[in-house]
Amino acid sequence: MSTFSGLNRATTALWAQQRGLDVTGQNIANINTVGYSRQRAELQSVNGNAVPAMYAVSNQVGQGVDADTVIRIRDAFLEGRAQSEAASSAQMTVRSESLAQVEQAFREPGTTGISAKITSVYTSWSELASSTQEDGARAAVLQNTATLVAELHTTSATLGEQWTQTRDSLDVLADDVNSKVQSIADLNASIKRANQAGLPVNELSDKRDVLVMDLAQAIGATSTPGDDGQVNLVVSGATLVSGDKATLIRAVGTNDPATVTATDPRFETSPGGTRVAVGGTAGGKITALTDTIPRYSKQLDAVARQVADEINAAHTLGFDKTGAPGGQVFDNGGSGVGTPITAANINLLITDTSKLAAASVAPVVGAGASADNGNATALGKLQDKAGGSASLYRKLIVTLGVEGSVATSNLETQTVIASQVDASRESVSGVNLDEEMTNMLQFQHAYSAAARMITAIDETLDKLINGTGRVGL
Amino acid sequence: MRITQRSLAVTSLQNLNRNMEAIAKLQAQQTSGKTINKPSDDPTGTNAAMQTRQEMASATQYARNISDGISILDATDSALHNITEQVQNARALTVQGLNDGSLSEASRVAIATEVDGIRQSLIGLANTAVKGQPIFGGVTSGPTAYDAAGTYTGFGGTTAVPAIEITRQVSSVDAVRVDITGPEAFGETTATSKDLFAIVGDIARDVVDDPDALAGHLAALDVALDRLKKAAADIGTRTNRIETAKQVNSDLQLTLETRSASIENVDLAKTMVDLSMMQTGYEAALGATAKVIQPTLLDFLR
Repeated sequence: MSTFSGLNRATTALWAQQRGLDVTGQNIANINTVGYSRQRAELQSVNGNAVPAMYAVSNQVGQGVDADTVIRIRDAFLEGRAQSEAASSAQMTVRSESLAQVEQAFREPGTTGISAKITSVYTSWSELASSTQEDGARAAVLQNTATLVAELHTTSATLGEQWTQTRDSLDVLADDVNSKVQSIADLNASIKRANQAGLPVNELSDKRDVLVMDLAQAIGATSTPGDDGQVNLVVSGATLVSGDKATLIRAVGTNDPATVTATDPRFETSPGGTRVAVGGTAGGKITALTDTIPRYSKQLDAVARQVADEINAAHTLGFDKTGAPGGQVFDNGGSGVGTPITAANINLLITDTSKLAAASVAPVVGAGASADNGNATALGKLQDKAGGSASLYRKLIVTLGVEGSVATSNLETQTVIASQVDASRESVSGVNLDEEMTNMLQFQHAYSAAARMITAIDETLDKLINGTGRVGL
Repeated sequence: MRITQRSLAVTSLQNLNRNMEAIAKLQAQQTSGKTINKPSDDPTGTNAAMQTRQEMASATQYARNISDGISILDATDSALHNITEQVQNARALTVQGLNDGSLSEASRVAIATEVDGIRQSLIGLANTAVKGQPIFGGVTSGPTAYDAAGTYTGFGGTTAVPAIEITRQVSSVDAVRVDITGPEAFGETTATSKDLFAIVGDIARDVVDDPDALAGHLAALDVALDRLKKAAADIGTRTNRIETAKQVNSDLQLTLETRSASIENVDLAKTMVDLSMMQTGYEAALGATAKVIQPTLLDFLR
């Protein structure tokens, strides 16, 4: 034992406990910081000389304590789980929201939706059957039909607007993702340099991991550990961050809801142009753009077409007030020959009330035009027709309802799962004040004890130096 | 499991949010009075609700068709009743002209004038219109069924143009005919037969000119009278049918109303109880959160 090794050992203890208190202070300071992982000073006892050098002596007692490294306490497996759960949650949230928006566009069940308008068109035909010669009843048919046409236009336009807004948000999303991808690459570079220099990187790593989690939500990115504390960021096989190198993405594809296909719009790498199969919020938006909204738009178009077809077919069988054969009621609003009728272009051709064909009997020479109600009755009965517009539309709404409610309950389940994973993560990485207080007391007491140790050695040396050999003095 | 202050706070917040969400949903139901505010609330219910709404609209329309039909049938019935009375009068006058050989010329002229007056009033009655549509005119688009000379100007009911039935849809499957054409009620003037107005016209003429022909006219008038009675009976039967349909329709409307209410309307008592239970739960959660988040070891260190 060297004379002063006891003092040295006590000094390392003072340092170590001080370090411990520092880390405790840092933990308490960041108890509410998002993404902060609690830290711990790794205390290690310092061994005595296991292989004594020549002339050296070893008393087999360790040389104190070492507190050089401060580690982040986190579970890589849970972090990975959290990333994929956050991506699923974000995707399901967008899905549920986009379906909710589609539901709002249809406003069913109620008195203002298309269903009520279809019903009033057919009941007004039925009403006309009671008074075929009255212009009031004829005007009611025209008014109700015009209202239905306007409602189809409005609903179609609302869906189109929803599509356009979602499409626009892709560009914003890509910008946001790109800035975060760049930040992660920059942080990776800093972390690598700091690690090589042996400097602490815990806070930088926390900051980067928050960004990684953001990207997991935004595009379903997952991270894999790289060299020197760096992470690589991958989105379904496409690498966005590799060490300090970033690959950016951009949104491409049509801006026009009318020309959308299932492969369009999408995200691709920029530069490179490789398609990126995104998840998360972006994935949800892509699904809304290429599937949900176009599908309901098409179904609405089919309803509009059915309305036009069934009324046109029935109307042309009849005869109008003047005895002339009934004409077409709807066309495609000048969209060109061969263009099918859609909810957006459906157009009411008849403006003159006398042109409505309520009669089913051809005029007879001498007796003039027939005032019978056969055709009006037939048109009124169309609303109960199996496979008619009313039942087609009802099918659309029920499909939408089922899809919406499935999406909502899926989201609820996913939210529970995600919050459980979050709770597990928090239970590993979160700061517990009670624990920190206990640690603080421990370090405080240990510090006091180490200080006391120094005093004891001091007193011992004092006795040795000042008191030894002074017998009788 | 290691529990931290933050995870406690987050979990509490999530639970509070869930409570709030449930309360918001119940409140939306309470204030709108509807359990289904969007299709995804209850897809099956939405389907039933939309179908019921449509059926209610149809039923309401059928009710309007029925009352319209009844008004036409009633008008026809009373017109036929009046016409029959007038024809009875004409018959009595004819019998008078036939039996009394000692009638003076002046009396015969008086009878002729009266019968002619009856004929005018018969034509007037035959032109009775409901909502501008002459009820005996078939499907004519003109204003009258018979012109002043008693010629049929309606559409349908003749040999050349058979009757085109005017019907009212009284339910989704049943339609009731509400009209009777002039020729069906009053006969048709052809080479071999004469309609009511022609017969009465003949009587008015022959009571002065050719009293011997009156016997033949009387027989023809009786045939016409029988036809009128048959027409009235026909109208009566149809009125009964449509009255039955009216009863069925109002029952149907009531059923649909009940069904719609049970599908869409909120059970107020239940929602109130649910809401107050939710509120109690929410307050308890708030209280617990306030107590749980507060204390740490800090509070107990000196």
